[in-house]
Amino acid sequence: MGTPFNKIDEGFSEDTRSQSGSDLITRTESGMVESSESEPGPIPLPSWILNLSEAERSEFTYAILRSLRTSSIAAIVERLNPLLHLDPVNRLPSEIIFAIFSFLPAETLLLTSSMSKAWRLRALDSQLWKQAFHSEGWVADMTQIRAFEASERSRVLELRERRRRVRRADLDGDRPSPKKRVVQESGLFGDGSQDGRNVQNTDGPAESWVEQHGVVEADDSIPVIEDAMQDVDFHDSRLSPEATTTSRDMRGNNIMHPVPIYHYDSTIQSPPISADPILPPVTPTLLQSGSGNEPRVNWQYLYKQKRRLEDNWNSGRYVNFQLPHPNHMEEAHGECVYTIQFSGNYLVSGSRDKTVRIWNLETQRLMVPPLTGHKASVLCLQFDERPEQDIVISGGSDNNVILWQFSTGKLIRTLTNAHTESVLNLRFDDRHLITCSKDKTIKVWNRNAILPTDEAYPKTTTTPGTSFPPYIVNMFHELESQHLHFKPLKEYSLMMTLNGHSAAVNAIQILDGQIVSASGDRTVKVWDVRTGICLKTFVGHIKGIACVQFDGRRIVSGSSDNTVRIFDRVTGAEVACLQGHASLVRTVQARFGDHPGNEDELEAEARAVDQKYFEAMNKGTISTELTREHRRARNAGSKDPKDIFAYGAKLPPGGGGSRWARIVSGSYDETVIIWKKDSKGKWVPQHELKQSDAVRAASGTRGRSPAQGANTQPGNGAPTPMASFQQLAAQAQAQAQHAQALVAQAHALHAQQMQAQLAQLAQNSSQTANAVLLAQMQNQNNQGQPAQNGDAQPTTNPAIVPLVQPQTHHHPPHHHHHHHGLAMAIQQQQQQHRVFKLQFDSRRIICCSQDPTIVGWDFANNDRDIVGASRFFGEST
Amino acid sequence: MATDTQTIRLTTSDNVEMTVERAVAERSILIKNLLEDLGGEQTESIPVPNVAEPVMKKVIEWCEHHKKDPPTTQDDDSDSRKKSTDIDEWDQKFMQVDQEMLFEIILAANYLDIKALLDVGCKTVANMIKGKSPDEIRKTFNIQNDFTPEEEDQIRRENEWAEDR
Repeated sequence: MGTPFNKIDEGFSEDTRSQSGSDLITRTESGMVESSESEPGPIPLPSWILNLSEAERSEFTYAILRSLRTSSIAAIVERLNPLLHLDPVNRLPSEIIFAIFSFLPAETLLLTSSMSKAWRLRALDSQLWKQAFHSEGWVADMTQIRAFEASERSRVLELRERRRRVRRADLDGDRPSPKKRVVQESGLFGDGSQDGRNVQNTDGPAESWVEQHGVVEADDSIPVIEDAMQDVDFHDSRLSPEATTTSRDMRGNNIMHPVPIYHYDSTIQSPPISADPILPPVTPTLLQSGSGNEPRVNWQYLYKQKRRLEDNWNSGRYVNFQLPHPNHMEEAHGECVYTIQFSGNYLVSGSRDKTVRIWNLETQRLMVPPLTGHKASVLCLQFDERPEQDIVISGGSDNNVILWQFSTGKLIRTLTNAHTESVLNLRFDDRHLITCSKDKTIKVWNRNAILPTDEAYPKTTTTPGTSFPPYIVNMFHELESQHLHFKPLKEYSLMMTLNGHSAAVNAIQILDGQIVSASGDRTVKVWDVRTGICLKTFVGHIKGIACVQFDGRRIVSGSSDNTVRIFDRVTGAEVACLQGHASLVRTVQARFGDHPGNEDELEAEARAVDQKYFEAMNKGTISTELTREHRRARNAGSKDPKDIFAYGAKLPPGGGGSRWARIVSGSYDETVIIWKKDSKGKWVPQHELKQSDAVRAASGTRGRSPAQGANTQPGNGAPTPMASFQQLAAQAQAQAQHAQALVAQAHALHAQQMQAQLAQLAQNSSQTANAVLLAQMQNQNNQGQPAQNGDAQPTTNPAIVPLVQPQTHHHPPHHHHHHHGLAMAIQQQQQQHRVFKLQFDSRRIICCSQDPTIVGWDFANNDRDIVGASRFFGEST
Repeated sequence: MATDTQTIRLTTSDNVEMTVERAVAERSILIKNLLEDLGGEQTESIPVPNVAEPVMKKVIEWCEHHKKDPPTTQDDDSDSRKKSTDIDEWDQKFMQVDQEMLFEIILAANYLDIKALLDVGCKTVANMIKGKSPDEIRKTFNIQNDFTPEEEDQIRRENEWAEDR
């Protein structure tokens, strides 16, 4: 085990180089270190003193000190003080520093990187930032990252190989030292140009240094340090005198070269490798500097860009974009777009024009010609672009469900009359397709041919409230009767029908074998996909529910009562109610950004809130009776006992999640609201985006400054270039411009009417009136007007449409495109932008509405670094 | 002579022999594995060449206090977990030592493979860093700032992205 004096033998080579003088007193005896003889400070001590024991020397020293005047003692204390403060980075091996730093939040970690060069080297360790990234609850797309690293690796190897060949040809075996080359060329190419980098990758000692001593593995065994010192001697002479004289820290001296390091290069594909093999550059690059031919993504870079992206969200900095590309308006949908989904670089949309369109988000162009096959509006769809799936499934007002090949747009199969009324929503996973309809039912279909013995096959056929087709066998009974020969069930057979809702089922989701459905009957239900049993019913909304999202713990729903509510899946408690929209909330997405494995955390948080609530109740500081006002105000996530609504939940008020949690909702009030939790945990609208603004901004000059395009509404008078479909609206708007006052009046009126209507509604409390909601347009269409009169149809009072009994307006389909009257213009302006569906990822919100163009808000805001890093940001719930 | 308070002897780097209850000493995975490898009754003193007596005393004091703790599981320190720097009261008091001792304890815990003690030590240092201004951190650890003013300025400007806006 070595001599007792060789205390640290595991990469702890720094104690000899710790800061000035700190070794002298304590170290000689403990034997950890050879004394630092070069310390010029204290006078040499006579050997008889050194031969005394520690205790004796202490007493002796104390006696001497006592002989001094107070001011002298104070001066000595002052001088001694630094000796009591030891630099851990110099004292402790790198893996322990890593462990210490991994307890620091990212902001502190960044701060420590400015302490000294040695600290900087440790604090910018990419792995620390990887931890920091994940502990924010952020998700990275590891597949993308690995693919990128692999491609970089082969690129580097290829370049190396080419260089080697060139060198062989050049140098007749008389190779100069690679080290010298590094010195020379890093001086010349220290700006991170390709050449400088590749020279570093030559083989020989310099390369091995680079490989072994990248940012992560920064070990500091002595021989290599000496090696490196030779390499960088040239630069050392240029260091400021201060840096060279402050310490004997040998490594410190060659840690940082002021000249070549401080460049800025945001090039994504070929980030520079600093001429300095040790310290990373001031500005992090996508690849770790000095990672040689093992290119590694630099997590500090990813962390930084993710933070900057979040900053853009919080500050409302974005650029708008649209589908179709403004130069190719001919690719646009012909009418309003009811549904979209995007994933990676693809977006698929479904419209009232009966088509499904597949877009490339990067080029903003159609990938294939429009997919035709539906006989009426396309209301819902989902796609999976992965080659093994390669599918789009859509549902529509024609009661049909159609399967398409994603890559070609080819119609694969039509499930004719999948429902008896409009198919309002559908979701699929690897096994099941779930559809829901205005006919109040939910249907479960198998995606692959299966046998009754398969996992996906219904477990029973006797669930009350759920009906099973006659060909579905009850495995339990079959097994009992020893009947074990089965025909396989063909793919896309109906397996069961869930009949529990009493009104149109507007939205569904499937996750982990559970179907979550939202209905006009004001409830959300959770069902077991294998038995058809309704596991739980969630009540809370006071009107029909239009949309729902389930992440395994929370159910987030948007309703015609203008609210978004969050329910605890386990207990059914309403943990938040978000009020901010002025009309039906038609679409919602929530991302809570849970830290990995935080279930216990959430539950503990929930319990703590409960406890406070009960304490407050016992003390009598809050009343047990909810006031009417309180009841109406609900709770948007406050943990204040007097705001508490429900207790016993497994989720804290607001639903929990990280500080990056975000909800985005879209409404018939023509706005999109971005919700964030405030400092008290309460959900508040952070930004309200107007759909119409986005349409205008996106169709205008691209890449405009966000100051123009962002929160400021560009006023009706602003001459924005309009492209084809916008032109009609623009015309109408132009006519409306001279009547601004009128529009304002109309808005005021509209609001009054809404209130009146609400009051009336409250009186009547007619369930059906509330329930119809989304099915509304189908009510209109069923009367012999096949799917052409959606709710895009102008009516005398559009805001009231979803709230009242079925309308009987039947305008001809071509109607609204050809109105030029003032009244028409006002109406169009008022109701052209009802939001039907939105989706967001880490970088953007994309949204479809009554307008035929699909618009997006890109919070990367044209920042190259953010755009480049975004492809590595994954999705989380 | 197998009693329930079986003891073993340790010899520290400064050649001091210490007698320790086996269960206490086995908080150290290094010692535990060593004893298992040796098997049977351990009569010889076990050398601990990397830890001096004053430090070993502290480490044993900690092990005594924590001898009933459940053994730490290996997978509870997953990378991505939010890391709390909360330290229980006894440990906080225990760690109120001079910096040299603190670092020695950390090194000893690392060498002896006592994960919980290492964690407490690392958290203690982390807490000494958290919530401080750069100057305060430098003072706390007597860090020699070897950046030039220009370098410092560049780093400060680069780090602005992390400021809450």
